[in-house]
Amino acid sequence: MANHTTVESINPADLPIPPEGAFRIIRACNKESTDAHQLGRLLERDPVLTIEILRIANSAYFGFSGKITTVSRAIAVIGQRTLRHIVLCVAMRDALKPGQLPALSVETFWTNALRRAVCARALATHSGLDDDTGFTIGLLQDFGLLVLFYLNPNRIAEWPGLAELAPDDRYAMERQLFDSTHDQVGQQLAESWNLPQELSLAMGFHHRHPTHDIDDSKTQYCHLAQCADWMAAVFTSADKRHTLSNCQALLDKHFGIPRVETDQLLSQTNELLSEAAQAFGFDVGDQVSYDAVIQQANMRLLEENQNIQEMNWELENVLKERDRVAAELKQELDLAREVQRSLLPTDSTDQLSVFGLNLSAKAVSGDFYDFLRLHNGKVAFCIADVSGKGMHAALLMAKTSSLFHCLGKSLHDPAKLLTMINREIIETSIHGMFITIVAGVIDPETSDVVLSNAGHLPVIRMRHSQPVAEYPALSPPLGIMPETQFQNEKFNLKHDSLYLYTDGLLEAKITAQERQGKERLINIFGKYATKPPVERLQYIIANLRQHCEEMEDDMTLLLIEGTS
Amino acid sequence: MGYKIEEAAGFAIVHLEGDVDLSRSPTARQAILDCLQERQHVLVDLTAVTYIDSSGVASLVEGFQVSRRMSLDFALIGVSDAAMSVLQLARLDQVFPIFASLDARLAQADPKT
Repeated sequence: MANHTTVESINPADLPIPPEGAFRIIRACNKESTDAHQLGRLLERDPVLTIEILRIANSAYFGFSGKITTVSRAIAVIGQRTLRHIVLCVAMRDALKPGQLPALSVETFWTNALRRAVCARALATHSGLDDDTGFTIGLLQDFGLLVLFYLNPNRIAEWPGLAELAPDDRYAMERQLFDSTHDQVGQQLAESWNLPQELSLAMGFHHRHPTHDIDDSKTQYCHLAQCADWMAAVFTSADKRHTLSNCQALLDKHFGIPRVETDQLLSQTNELLSEAAQAFGFDVGDQVSYDAVIQQANMRLLEENQNIQEMNWELENVLKERDRVAAELKQELDLAREVQRSLLPTDSTDQLSVFGLNLSAKAVSGDFYDFLRLHNGKVAFCIADVSGKGMHAALLMAKTSSLFHCLGKSLHDPAKLLTMINREIIETSIHGMFITIVAGVIDPETSDVVLSNAGHLPVIRMRHSQPVAEYPALSPPLGIMPETQFQNEKFNLKHDSLYLYTDGLLEAKITAQERQGKERLINIFGKYATKPPVERLQYIIANLRQHCEEMEDDMTLLLIEGTS
Repeated sequence: MGYKIEEAAGFAIVHLEGDVDLSRSPTARQAILDCLQERQHVLVDLTAVTYIDSSGVASLVEGFQVSRRMSLDFALIGVSDAAMSVLQLARLDQVFPIFASLDARLAQADPKT
């Protein structure tokens, strides 16, 4: 026999068959033409079966206690249809005897099957379906599983594990174990035994959704089988909470049964099971009470709620921690910003001839300017822009600014100063970061200027509102090559002003497509030429801010005034 | 999306394109550095570059610095007008070896002189 069983691979000869006498009766029952008289004669030929059927028909479970003494009386009282179902159930029960599957607890299987049967019968009664059909469906719907074990005896060790799974998990596990499932095998078997269609279809479609060609009344029996499966599993599955909640949802969905009525149906199950077991000659032993089921389900719910509570707690702590880190980070950034502001000069006066303004787009800036009075009365100044943005740009800016401020006090030649700063920067430069810078010195008395432009935007010289000269970069930026040679330009600034700026001014977006550009910037410089220096810087920046859509980059502007 | 890289005449040619700005420059940087890590001589083709900002330039500068440390060739070819104006403004045309094309680079015996 194969380890794996696809429905197509099952040889009909391998399937179990009921005892000969019973099988003959099943076949006869399935023929509509068989009348009560013929059925009675057939049954009388099998005295063992006759006794069995009379016992079942007379049991408390079927409600004819002690009234039926002969087969013909049985047919007259309980009807041919009910009798047919009883015969079928007995036949199926006897089709596989315990001896044929020695390692399998056939009793447990039939106890579970009987539980499905009483659940299906109770649900059928409740929903106006035929109760005997319901009972038979419940009893037979998982018969395919016995067949799967019968065909794959090496898998029998898996049985106890399967038995305590909820129907959906059990179904998935079966597919893994057998490459096939009990519903498909069961349906095939039912068809080969010519069982009525509502039985074979319910056996085939109590896990899968019934196909569209199945009519409504038979679909109802498929749903009945599905619900009975879950109702029985409430008592047998390990995860009672999941099973119970699924069971309640299914009964509501297919039969509109509210939860409280489902509870009533389930609470009767144990009593019905013992009666039915007695009728069929089983000993079902002690069963888990429905109260115990509810208790276990509630405990599970409580545990899950506790887990959720714990998860909520953890989440709350993580969020608190995140807020704390964010607050800390903000504090650090505020501090960094404050340190940066402190690097900018504050003693701008007319005596110095140098004025500056800086606006950061982010918390920290990659731009800076500086100026300082030298001991000989001259003023050293610079404006610079570090490539890139954010904290790493801000740190490089701090370093460059410190070097300028420190070395600039004693080194008054801008080109030599830049050579020194460049060598210091290059030792620690990373990621290709570089600094464009203009460094210079002005004598406020004479307006003599010396400046060196290293890769920075051209310095604009204005006479009142007109541009008169530009001083573009003569050498590359700082931080690229140690051997860079920097060059000075010398000129007298009398009557004129120098405008030094960073690309935040030049590249400010005035529309989605258009940037400020040099010409427009020069016009703005010219527009406020008559204003005093400090006010002029504010007007220029205010004008730029007013026309730019969004401030993307830092804006830094330095103004050097020649004597008039 | 990464940039196209092809190998020709003993060089890895990294073709940058479009706007090489703060959002794209990390990709450009990685492409250039990957080639250098594999000890390949690198040419960066800027023919299709429409805009390059300081972070984009920094990627080129880093490539240039790394190539010097590793004694590998590094040059720019086919520099577009948009990229050239940025490089010239910052006098970076004094830093990078710049050639019109791969052929122009091959015609030069030693680009580093």
